[in-house]
Amino acid sequence: MAQPRGMTRRAMLGTLGAVGVAAAAGVTLAPRAAGAQALGQNEPVDAALKRVFGGKAMKDGSRIIKLDIPLIAENGAVVPVSVEVNAPMTPQSYVKHIYVVADKNRIPIVTRAVLTPDSGQAYMGANIRLGETGDVRAIVEQSDGTLLQVKREVKVTVGGCGG
Amino acid sequence: MSDIGKVRLRLPSSIKAGDVVRVRCLVIHPMERIERDKAGKIIDKKYQYIDKVTVTYLGKTIASFDTTQSVSENPFFAFTFKATDPGKLAVTFHDTLGETYEGTADIKFG
Repeated sequence: MAQPRGMTRRAMLGTLGAVGVAAAAGVTLAPRAAGAQALGQNEPVDAALKRVFGGKAMKDGSRIIKLDIPLIAENGAVVPVSVEVNAPMTPQSYVKHIYVVADKNRIPIVTRAVLTPDSGQAYMGANIRLGETGDVRAIVEQSDGTLLQVKREVKVTVGGCGG
Repeated sequence: MSDIGKVRLRLPSSIKAGDVVRVRCLVIHPMERIERDKAGKIIDKKYQYIDKVTVTYLGKTIASFDTTQSVSENPFFAFTFKATDPGKLAVTFHDTLGETYEGTADIKFG
């Protein structure tokens, strides 16, 4: 087993213990930790959405959001997805975040793009993993806090999320 | 896995001032998945995956991605930026082991 350089076994066990304590503390001190926690956690999609968006209402964004993803993904390990939002990108009003959420993944929040007016256009693309057939959502947060979402079902022939 | 961290950036061949340019970038990286033991319990270890991607243009961060293990192996990202001045565009990938990988492109107008 590979050990970190310059660390005895005993010291390493101690560190691991400390990390465990810190993790436990993080759970009880939830509000502050929420920002510092990793975006991706093993949780159902409802819990993830609640944690990230605090249960705020989402409007239907199908008029301005274009979610481009194959209807059938033969290989769930690599699924190209792109999101384009037809919205102005000016310092007064712009698209702040684009989230990609895969409902059936064990880690539902796939990625969050943080955009600025300098991006010129609200667009992002990525290759994602899909564990099984299910909805994929794109959630757009505008600079005034408005949330818009679109979703599309993707059929997955071979899942890509072993975990 | 000696290829880890190779970054490739693709831009259109000619860019005019003021264009909104689409950039595609790719990094060779394993993006380790969560492993489970036979009982289905998550094996607790530090997984190596990219959790942050930042894009800087002319020294200013213009976009970033926060990513999770649901992103595929050898992750690919696409984004746009507004080419206002010639200069450097850099894409930096940060993984959970503290490694960073950077790819740069010189923006020229021609």
